[in-house]
Amino acid sequence: MNIVACVKQVPDTEAQIRVKPDGSGIEEGGIKWVMNPYDEFGVEEALRLKEKNGGEVTIVCLGPARAMETIRTALAMGADKGIHINDPVFDGADAFTTASALAAAIKGIPHDIIFCGQRAIDDDSAQVGAILADLLGIPQVTVVTKLEFAGSAVKVIRPIEGAQLLIECPLPCLVTAQKGLNEPRYASLPGIMKAKKKPVDVKNAAALGVSADGKAKVVRFVPPPARAAGKIVCADGTPEGKAAELAKLLREEAKVI
Amino acid sequence: MERIPFSVGNEGRQVFWNAETFETFLFLFTAIALLIFAYGIYRRWQLWVALGKPETRLDRLPERVKALLINGLIQVKTFREPYPGIMHGLIFFGFMVLIFGAAFDASEFHIAEPLGWAFLRGTFYLVFSFLMDLFGLAVLIGVLLALYRRYIRRPDGLGYQGKPDNTADDAVVLLLLFGIIMTGFVIEALRIRVTSPSWEVWSFGGWMLAKAFTAIEPEQAKLLHKATWWTHTFLSLGFIAYIPYSRLLHIITTPANHFLVSLKPAGYNEPIRDFETAETFGVGKIEEFTKKQVFDSDACTRCGRCQDGCPAYLSGKPLSPKKLIQDLKTFWLTQAPAAAAARRAVGNAATGAGETGGRGIVFKALDRIDAAVDRMGSGTTAGAASAETALVGGVIDLHELWACTNCLYCTENCSASIEHVPKIIGMRQYKVLTEADFAPELQLTFRNMENNSNPWGIGSHLRADWAKDLGIKTLAEDPAVEYLFYVGCSGSFDDRGKKVSSALAKILKAAGISFGILGTEEGCCGDSALRGGNEYLSQTLVQANIEVMNRYHVKKIITTCPHGYNALKKDYPNFGGEFEVYHHTEIIAELIAAGKITLKKPVEGLFTYHDSCFLGRYNGIYDQPRRILRAVPGLKLTEMERNLAKSFCCGAGGARMWMEEDIGERINNLRTDQAVAAGAGTIAVGCPFCLTMLSDGIKDRKKEETMAALDIAEIVWRAMDLEEAQPVAEACAAPQ
Ligand code: SF4
Ligand code: SF4
Repeated sequence: MNIVACVKQVPDTEAQIRVKPDGSGIEEGGIKWVMNPYDEFGVEEALRLKEKNGGEVTIVCLGPARAMETIRTALAMGADKGIHINDPVFDGADAFTTASALAAAIKGIPHDIIFCGQRAIDDDSAQVGAILADLLGIPQVTVVTKLEFAGSAVKVIRPIEGAQLLIECPLPCLVTAQKGLNEPRYASLPGIMKAKKKPVDVKNAAALGVSADGKAKVVRFVPPPARAAGKIVCADGTPEGKAAELAKLLREEAKVI
Repeated sequence: MERIPFSVGNEGRQVFWNAETFETFLFLFTAIALLIFAYGIYRRWQLWVALGKPETRLDRLPERVKALLINGLIQVKTFREPYPGIMHGLIFFGFMVLIFGAAFDASEFHIAEPLGWAFLRGTFYLVFSFLMDLFGLAVLIGVLLALYRRYIRRPDGLGYQGKPDNTADDAVVLLLLFGIIMTGFVIEALRIRVTSPSWEVWSFGGWMLAKAFTAIEPEQAKLLHKATWWTHTFLSLGFIAYIPYSRLLHIITTPANHFLVSLKPAGYNEPIRDFETAETFGVGKIEEFTKKQVFDSDACTRCGRCQDGCPAYLSGKPLSPKKLIQDLKTFWLTQAPAAAAARRAVGNAATGAGETGGRGIVFKALDRIDAAVDRMGSGTTAGAASAETALVGGVIDLHELWACTNCLYCTENCSASIEHVPKIIGMRQYKVLTEADFAPELQLTFRNMENNSNPWGIGSHLRADWAKDLGIKTLAEDPAVEYLFYVGCSGSFDDRGKKVSSALAKILKAAGISFGILGTEEGCCGDSALRGGNEYLSQTLVQANIEVMNRYHVKKIITTCPHGYNALKKDYPNFGGEFEVYHHTEIIAELIAAGKITLKKPVEGLFTYHDSCFLGRYNGIYDQPRRILRAVPGLKLTEMERNLAKSFCCGAGGARMWMEEDIGERINNLRTDQAVAAGAGTIAVGCPFCLTMLSDGIKDRKKEETMAALDIAEIVWRAMDLEEAQPVAEACAAPQ
């Protein structure tokens, strides 16, 4: 079975995000870059499928030079090879451009099942997987928490409000991974060492024949407003007084009730 | 040769009285016994060298000889436990004297007398007789004490989880000793019964026993004497021959192990040097231990001292350091014969099968003997199935492996200088590095350390936030300071730990100490990663810190965390980080002694000091914390029953801080109970992990109303009484 897992390199969830003064992006200094956690579920599921049914796992990643580290992480977990789409024209690429580049790279290799994270934790757009499936002309099942391989199809579970859908989808298809799908493994040290020698194909826009024009453009990054200091409700010091004062503030100042 | 008759004034006895024509037989039997002994040692030697990576410990010989004399001969470690210490001392020293006595007898008979130099005469003889009886009695008492302890008193240490682990061999050895001494006394008594010289009252044991034999006719007594003499001889020679095949082997292996003791700092971890080309890491197979580590298991006497204070064992986890070592030994004995045979096959091939020289003949003869002995014994050896068992996860259960807090109680209190902790770390390394198969919560911890250089995974940019309002400079701001205050993860991120950091910072400021912090350039010290088996991560963290510290030319470091302290002191030098490292209790004790800080405000209450493992057993800091507490006015100090080198772990070491504890009791609760039993209101600690664990224990035991855990720095800062009243911002006036 030929399995593809798409990964994105994102800032660590705990990293301190500072917007550049000109609003053109975020300051990258001091940021620890990690694999998007939802993509990690995808990689893990890909590896489990391979371990059960045989086959090969290819990691596809669009990102600058530093993204190679994330590809190596996936290879250390046990993936077999990688494709690194690295071209400055893709800096700040929107979901459509990203999906187009991924699609171009994946078209060139055999693929029975493709995994993406259900969204990336940095821009939270949750579109790349969907567009990618569309561009490849294959069905997609999204936000999956359980996956079973059944010969020429997969059976997956997708939670929806108050219920779960059991969906069967023929291969080839694209699956986006949700938390709960699995517990991603910790890479073994021999795995980390071997990953250094696994093949990674680096491709640019020209090689893929993809333009970076895209459909959406980020105009400006603006940091969230600083949180205002809290207020201590004193009133006359009695519980009743405090409650009355709090109700008044909530209604008149915060306008929430 | 004419013999001057024995008389008062020329006391003595005929050595080998009533034992005509015995010499040939005695020599023959002695030779056989010695051969059996030597052959046993030879076979065992083959097993010792059969498996394991090479490790030579022949450096610093004077220290090794000293260890051999102190712990092998004088047995200081054995005497640390009074009952078994005295029991063993009576047997050991008694037997030593008796062996010398027997040698005296033999040399008198075979050398001195024929040359006319008889020396067992007169006062010397009397004293000699007296001493022989005295030490014979000592052995007897020792053996009785041992029998009583093992079979009647049955302490938990001589078993596992309430079940005694006695073997037939234990009884055989004790009975053998008993038999040798008893027959010795009977021989003496029968001789005295027949010859009855008045001075033999000095041989008090035989003298008294002879009274019981007066009813026996002299001729009969002589016959009986001869029979007993041979019995005694056979038992004694049997004893020698039995040594290599029984627990008596510890007579050789245990002193040897004292000689081979680690001369590295306590709990030292030998770093993995090759990550790039190695295929596996840590110890997954028994041959991945070093030969010394394997030999350790053969030096274990099953005395149980290690188990008696092991927090994992005492809290109901499956781990017992004694069982661990014994399981390794049993496994080694199933694996080693094949490995030894393979080694020999290789050796034979190398020397060439056709070798006909002296060596070749001897080795071939030995091979034949070995094969014959193996055939004889093949019915009794363990089945081959056990040889297939995996070491980690099979022989050593994973729950055992991960239950260890690395508290070092076992090693510190082992009477045989066995090193348990490196074996445990080695096997953990195998699970973590090679197999990546370990507890999910620990995986998360490691990821957090990788991404944010702290076990909680709190953003690393928040590391210095605790110091924001304290006016502490970072080395980036001012590198010209005397000390680096290495704050560590607890001190930087944990709410309780942050209070300790700020207490210490204020103390240092008040004392006028010049110090700085690394701020966000600081990283995790690497201790939990190392002890959790992730040496790769640990080294990454260590190297990152060293890089920063060396960039600022750091020379002296203060820590509040004994884990960081221990790592900085013992692990960092391996990677080019050479610093003078101080724990804050060392610094504070100094400051008090030098009068640089004054403790004026009474801190009332009954306190007890909990020795952190990484401060006490690992680094010998027992005194400073107690000295500080005694200097606090109003403070009364009491001790818990388990203290100093026998202190009971809080449960957080060895990466256990970050792991679930779901088997048995919680270790921190047990330690809290011990503090409650001591009647203490406050548990004083010098370690942020202990602080967390004991605070949790106090909560769990519903004692928050009456008890608290405080760091020494917090207590000292309180007693210094320099805290400025903080204006409470925007607080409401208290309601009337
Ligand atoms: S180090 Fe402590 S917890 Fe580990 S085996 Fe030894 S005594 Fe038990
Ligand atoms: S390991 Fe040491 S302390 Fe433990 S039983 Fe063996 S000899 Fe005794």
